[in-house]
Amino acid sequence: MSQKKNKRPKNLNLLQIHLPVGGVVSILHRVTGVLLVLALPLGFLLFQRSLHSPEGFAQTAALLGSLPARVLLFGVAIILAHHFLAGVRHLLLDLDLGISRNGGRLGAWLVLIGVAGTALIVGWRLFLWP
Amino acid sequence: MNARNSGSAHRGLGEWLLQRLTALYLAGFMLWLLARFALAPPTDYVTWKTWFSAGWIQLAFALFFLSVLLHAWVGMRSVFLDYLKPLWLRFAAHVLLAIGLLALTFWAAQILLVEAAV
Repeated sequence: MSQKKNKRPKNLNLLQIHLPVGGVVSILHRVTGVLLVLALPLGFLLFQRSLHSPEGFAQTAALLGSLPARVLLFGVAIILAHHFLAGVRHLLLDLDLGISRNGGRLGAWLVLIGVAGTALIVGWRLFLWP
Repeated sequence: MNARNSGSAHRGLGEWLLQRLTALYLAGFMLWLLARFALAPPTDYVTWKTWFSAGWIQLAFALFFLSVLLHAWVGMRSVFLDYLKPLWLRFAAHVLLAIGLLALTFWAAQILLVEAAV
């Protein structure tokens, strides 16, 4: 770091500045990653119960069919979709794809649109499926 | 701060590569599982259980659990390194994470070897 006095103007007015969309997608990638790690034990538990016995399978199926569980599954699906798509974006950035200023923005918007699309499909499947 | 004295050299590259290799496996596995469940959802216990009798399914799930836990280790570690400034807090978080992920590893092995075994 330079020790020289920085004379450039500062503008930290939060009403005027904001994180660019690529930054939003990137920080959400971290947040969703941490949330997914926290969800792991629950997933392990359900997986174990479902394989343990016929009763365990029936209990797990009934539990997953309940409304609170479906709301939770909906949340996990959105979180996973974001982490997945933002991760694909990061892998493409490693290959220098979508690395330009406009390409980065486009990629970030595509991630958000993909998440919204996934939310619509999963929501329909979880709540409106006949 | 001098970057040369902050840790062993070249450690970052291994983690960087590990995070990407596990990401590729996880992505492929998730898409395969999603397609499998969309086409033929397990409707009863016997179908579900016998699905795991194939050796390659067991292997695919074992690799999945291993990938998830390694991916979680590298990811959580970089979050801790960026946001937890006091050394004791960072150290404590790493220890808890290591214990937690190690416990999940044994749990996953137990599920696959005991519950999913034929």
